[in-house]
Amino acid sequence: MTAVVVPGPRPARPRTRILLPVVPAVLLVLLAMTGPLLAAHPVDKPVTAPYGTAGTDTALGGDQLGRDVLSRLLHGGSALIGSALIVAAVVTLLATLLGCFAVLGPRLGRLVERAADTAILLPPVLGIMLLALAWPGGGRLAISVAAIALGTPYAVRIVASAAAPLATSGFVEAATASGERLGHLALREILPNLRATVLALFGLRFVDAVYVIAMAGFLQLGPQPPEADWALMIRENGPGILLNPWAVVAPGLAIGLLAISVNLAANALAPATARRAALR
Amino acid sequence: MTGTTTRPAEAAVRPVAASATRRAGLLALRGAAVLGKRLLMLLVLLAVVFAAIELLPGDAASATSERGEGAAGLAARRHLLGLDRPVWERFADWITALPTGGLGTSARGERVTDLLAAPLPNTVLLGGTAFVLTVLAALAVGLGASARPRGIVDRVVDLTSTAGFALPEFVVSIGLLLVLSLWTGWLPAATVTGADGAPATWSMLVMPVLALTVPQTGWNTRIVRAALADQAATPHVEAARLDGLSTGRILLRHALPGAWPAIATGIATSTGMLLGGTVVVETLFNYPGIGTVLAGAVADRDTPVIAAVVACAAALITVVLLLADLVRARTLGARS
Repeated sequence: MTAVVVPGPRPARPRTRILLPVVPAVLLVLLAMTGPLLAAHPVDKPVTAPYGTAGTDTALGGDQLGRDVLSRLLHGGSALIGSALIVAAVVTLLATLLGCFAVLGPRLGRLVERAADTAILLPPVLGIMLLALAWPGGGRLAISVAAIALGTPYAVRIVASAAAPLATSGFVEAATASGERLGHLALREILPNLRATVLALFGLRFVDAVYVIAMAGFLQLGPQPPEADWALMIRENGPGILLNPWAVVAPGLAIGLLAISVNLAANALAPATARRAALR
Repeated sequence: MTGTTTRPAEAAVRPVAASATRRAGLLALRGAAVLGKRLLMLLVLLAVVFAAIELLPGDAASATSERGEGAAGLAARRHLLGLDRPVWERFADWITALPTGGLGTSARGERVTDLLAAPLPNTVLLGGTAFVLTVLAALAVGLGASARPRGIVDRVVDLTSTAGFALPEFVVSIGLLLVLSLWTGWLPAATVTGADGAPATWSMLVMPVLALTVPQTGWNTRIVRAALADQAATPHVEAARLDGLSTGRILLRHALPGAWPAIATGIATSTGMLLGGTVVVETLFNYPGIGTVLAGAVADRDTPVIAAVVACAAALITVVLLLADLVRARTLGARS
C-alpha cells in the first residue's frame, strides 16, 4: 500500500487527512503478515480441551480440536491477505490494460460493456461455487481465479469511464494525427494520466477480494480444514460458539476489522471521480 | 415494457396527437431493443455457465457413485443421466425446457423443480424482506444525510456506510448472534423448521434478515447519497433553493425525482450481492432455503441443481435490471 504518492483531486486536501485513514489498514496487514512469527503454539496440535476456555496459556481458549485459537488467528491472516493482494493486483492490471485499449477501439469497448453487463447477472458466490465445482482440489488458487474472472469486467468499466475523456482530449488526438500506433497511444499517452484512478481501483478491488475470498473460505470452497484460515475458523467453530465464543468471535473480528480498515483506506485514497465511477 | 410508452405521451404532448403516437412507437421500439438485449445476455451467461460446468473433470455420475461400483455401472448411469451426449445437444434441451419450468433431473434422480419447490418460498421470504428493508433504510438514511451536506449526520453516515458494505454477511451474522442470542437471549440462534417446511416462528427470520440488510444498506445508502448530491448540483434544484423552499421539499420534490434512475440502477446492481449473501446467511443459521440445497449440491457436484439455481438467479436479476430500465425510461421520458 504505497499511500503517499497519491495526489488528491485538488491540492487543498491536506495530506494528513489522506494518510490517517490508511494507517490502521497498513498496521493490520503488517500484523497479519508477521503473525506466524508471534504465535506461541503450533497451529495443528491440540494444546487444551476442545473448546477449552481462555486460560493463562491460551489467551483465547481452544477450538473444536483444542488447538490454540490465538496461534491459529495469528497464522490465519497472511494467506487471506496475500491472495486478496494478488487478486487485486491482477484485476487492476488487467482492467487498466483493457480499459486503456477499450476507449481507443470501439469494438473492444463494446465487448467490454457487454461482458460487464453479462457478468452482473452472476452473483459472485454462485460464480465461485461453479468454479470450485469445475476445479476440485483447486483450493485457494481456484478461488483466486474465480475472483479475478468475476471482478475484471466491472473494473474495466471503471477504468474505461475514467479514460474516456482522455481519449478525445487534445494531446491524444495530436498523437493519433502524428500516426502513433494503438499500443503507444494506450500505454504512453492515456495510461500515465490514470494513476489516481488505478490506485483507487486497486484499493476497491482489495476490499472486494477480501470479501469474496473470505466468503469462499466460509463456504469451505477454498482452503481446506487443517489450514488456519480466519473464514474457515468461523465455519469450523460455529457449533461451539456457546462453549468458547472467542474461537468464532476473534476471527470474525479480524475479518471485520480488515474489511473496514482497508475500505476506509481505499475510500480516502480514491479521488472523487473514481469513487463515483465505482458506484455506477 | 409497454407501460412506459403511454406515460410520457400523456404527460407532455396530448394536443399533438400524431407526434405523440409516433413518439410512443419509438419508445416501444426502444423498450423492445432493451428487452432483447437483456434476454440475449441472459442466454449468453447461461451458455457460459453450462459450458463451464461441462468442462469440469469429474461429473455427477462419478461424484454420486457408490464405493466399489464397476466401470460398466458407471457408464450405464452416465447414459441414464444423458452425460454421454454432446454438450450442445444437452444445452439445447435444457434451455428449451427452461421456459416451461423443466429444470432437469438432479444427480440423485429427483426432479430439480421438486427439489427447489419447498425451500424457494423461504428464500423468497428472506431475500424479499431484506430487499424491501434495505431499500427503505437506504432511502431514509441517504435522504437524512443529504439534508445537511458535510454536516455531522452526513459524516457519520459516510463513515458507517463505508464500513457496513465492506463487512461480509457472515461477520455481521456473528455479531448479531453474539448480541441478540448469546448475551441477551432474545432470539433463537438457529432456525427450527415447522411441519410445513417454513421457519417455525417469525423471530427466526430477524437475524438472517438483519445480517443481509446491514451490508446492502451500506452500499445502497452510498448510491442514494451520491445520486442526490448529483441532483443537488443541477440548475432546477439550485433554483428551488433560491426560491426559499424548505430542505425537505427540495429533497423530496425536486432532487429525488431526478435521482431515481441512478438509485434504481444501483439497487438493481446490488441484487446479485443480496442473493449471494442469502446463500451464506442460510448456511450459518441453518435456514431451510435454496442456499442449504445449494451447499449440498456443491458437495455432490450436482450440475443440474447448480445450473438451475444460477438460471433462476440470473433471470431474477435480469427482471430487476429491466425494472431499473423502466424507471429510467419513465423519468427520462417525463423530462423530455
